[in-house]
Amino acid sequence: MAVAADPVLTFPPDQVPDPEEFIQAAMRWHFSPETGSPYWIERAKTLDFDPRRDVRTFDDLQLFPNIVNELRQVPARDLVPQGYGSSVEVIGIYESGGTTGAPKRVAYLADWMDRYVTWSTRQMEERGHPRDAHWLALIPSGPHLWGEVVARQARRRGGFTSTIDLDPRWVKKCLAEGRGDEAGRYVEHILAQGEFLLETQDIRVLVVTPPLLERLAQHEHLVKLVNEKVRVIIWSGAHMDADSRHLFRTEVFPDVQLFGNYGSTMILCGAVERSGSEDECVFDPFAPHVSFSVVDPETGRPVPYGERGQVVMNHISRSALFPNNLERDVATRIRPLAGQLGDSVADVSPVRTFDDEVVIEGVY
Amino acid sequence: MDEPIQLDALGARGAFRARNRLTVSDVTGRPVAELSQVPRLFVQRGLSALRTATPAGSDELSAVIARAGHTFATDTVGGLSAQEYQYLVSRVSGVPVTVVRSATRRIERAAAEAYRSVRCARPAAAVDRWQDPVTRGGGAVWTRRGDVFAVHAAGNHPGVHSLWLEALAMGYRVAVRPSGREPFTPHRLVTALREAGIGDDRLILLPTDHHVADDIVRGADLSLVYGGDAVVHKYRADPNVLTQGPGRTKILLADGDWASSLDTVVASISDEGGVACVNATAVFVAGDPAPVAAAIAERLAALPSLPPEDDKAVLPVRPAAEARRTEKYLLDHADGGVLRLGGDGIVDELGDGSAVLRPAVVQLDRPDAPQLATELPFPCVWVAPWSPDDGVGPLRNTLVLTVVSQDERLIGRLVDEPSISNVHVGDHPTHRMAPGIPHDGYLAEFLMRSKAVIR
Repeated sequence: MAVAADPVLTFPPDQVPDPEEFIQAAMRWHFSPETGSPYWIERAKTLDFDPRRDVRTFDDLQLFPNIVNELRQVPARDLVPQGYGSSVEVIGIYESGGTTGAPKRVAYLADWMDRYVTWSTRQMEERGHPRDAHWLALIPSGPHLWGEVVARQARRRGGFTSTIDLDPRWVKKCLAEGRGDEAGRYVEHILAQGEFLLETQDIRVLVVTPPLLERLAQHEHLVKLVNEKVRVIIWSGAHMDADSRHLFRTEVFPDVQLFGNYGSTMILCGAVERSGSEDECVFDPFAPHVSFSVVDPETGRPVPYGERGQVVMNHISRSALFPNNLERDVATRIRPLAGQLGDSVADVSPVRTFDDEVVIEGVY
Repeated sequence: MDEPIQLDALGARGAFRARNRLTVSDVTGRPVAELSQVPRLFVQRGLSALRTATPAGSDELSAVIARAGHTFATDTVGGLSAQEYQYLVSRVSGVPVTVVRSATRRIERAAAEAYRSVRCARPAAAVDRWQDPVTRGGGAVWTRRGDVFAVHAAGNHPGVHSLWLEALAMGYRVAVRPSGREPFTPHRLVTALREAGIGDDRLILLPTDHHVADDIVRGADLSLVYGGDAVVHKYRADPNVLTQGPGRTKILLADGDWASSLDTVVASISDEGGVACVNATAVFVAGDPAPVAAAIAERLAALPSLPPEDDKAVLPVRPAAEARRTEKYLLDHADGGVLRLGGDGIVDELGDGSAVLRPAVVQLDRPDAPQLATELPFPCVWVAPWSPDDGVGPLRNTLVLTVVSQDERLIGRLVDEPSISNVHVGDHPTHRMAPGIPHDGYLAEFLMRSKAVIR
């Protein structure tokens, strides 16, 4: 039987709760035997603190160990909070890119999807993105979350989506094996499919990864089509360095709005590019559900604002808890928006090695 | 100079100052410049602009290149006078300033004669233009093998930049990737050529990190890549990449009387600071190598330790830590040899964080000792015995071989040997080069081919 969650966890978009009240409500939900997920209830037994008693503030989230590597083995069902009861609606089981070893797996719940799509499409509305548009998404679907999210965002905005699937793991595999030419051929295959759509359909929103966009930019014909038809390019899934972003904005697609999203499976969504980001591409998260800090990887302490450090991510919602996850990215620490939990980040780029495994970014 | 000098990328749309920049430091570790590091997107756009650009006419081109070479060598370019430029190159690369000056003159001369040099390689039966009367009834026209030529330049010696001017002279559109170690020379030369009117869409400078560097080679039709054995190996199977690896330059003193050749030997080892691929790495002596090694050591020991910008400097200077690594490498590889010079170390610290790399002379006891292939970036020579019975074998894989001998049969065999690129007979130092004389074959042998035209 479903247990009603503390309303503070499902706050309406315009009533962002006090961060500490929010964190404490989340700890009660995820660590009470009647509402917490089997995974967390079991995992809590091995913690040397009591989350319901000891985790009260943003800084307290650092008490948690980074559990994301466990998500490579945990049965996804065990991640669902029992408080949902039998009425739980799991949209899908989504996996990380597999950039660093075996993929991590999460259960994605319908109520969270609804909250995230509501929040993210408001961001699009504020930025004047076209409504009722035909979107073209050259992005991963399959085990990955992004394709599903984009289809729902397009629908929420009155539009619809054409999706050309991109298998990022295959590309990474090719690159790891030194088969760069094969990866290139695959990417061309994806672009060739997108070309039919760009030529014949009224595509107004293009969703794409930076490496694919870079490849697209080699084709004058495609660049021309995008400049003629597309009003917004939503990019995410890999890093875009500041110089490339500048060139895309000023030279390649001067009349198209570029809208960066910094996503991760482990936060179950993406942070969005701050309006008016010029030289620095700043990303603001969906706070307080998602919060960032930027730390010195040696000490774990936050770096000063404006300095580079490694990104730590937290996801806290009724549907899931993934705290204190040291990500594979480095970024500049940026002052948050008013009332936001944690920091914002800018100019995200990959850490060159991670857990002793060389990071191969590929196209996602 | 507190503000670092900005070395921008030079793209088809003009200069580009990247947010991502590499600090270029002098031999003491003090930052002096920032080199923009362009992303893949910039490389792609640059190469595609080169591909779209039309080649310039050869008459006009030849004058532009010559004019640019003169400007490069004498005028202010990019805010730096020739003297300031030479000072910076010596401080950053550690190459003695007199060597930088002579390289400047060599580049000027190469620019003036680029077109003539290239023509030296043209097959006797081929003509430059299809309209030539020779093609009536059938003839050969000398044509480019591609449109876009890329250079991954080296930073050991500024003189490497005299070569690619020939590609420009043949109408290639050229992308130069400078070395992060000494980017001043290519930046200045490309700037001078663009100011002289070569066309921003015909010559670009693409400073990049190594992640993007391969994209330049992949995106060009033909490439010239400088590097060590690993680079040579990497591109061995690629017919569109010409590699310039270690020179393994040698001297063979095949006659008993070597004393009169000592000047040639010493100059071959130590001129140019000993940093060039045309500096001698090994000396083979018919008979006892000991007196030769001793005589070379005595001469090289007298060279002074000075900072690179000193007019009297002749030896290369590196950051002290790097110099220590080179020293360790030498001593680790000198096993089985007799160190006639350098046995107590080759590092002479100047007290400002930099160190002179002093010469080393190692005597070996056989002509097939593996050390003979060890090429180090300072005057370092391996001296070994050789007899006619050893034949050509030990002399293989050589960029320049100076042979002092009267034996015409021997000289003939050396000239015939495919793995020896250049043979200097008699007292001609290994580093002697001139426009019109091939360096490692004519570059044009790689760039051009003869095409039948019948009309």
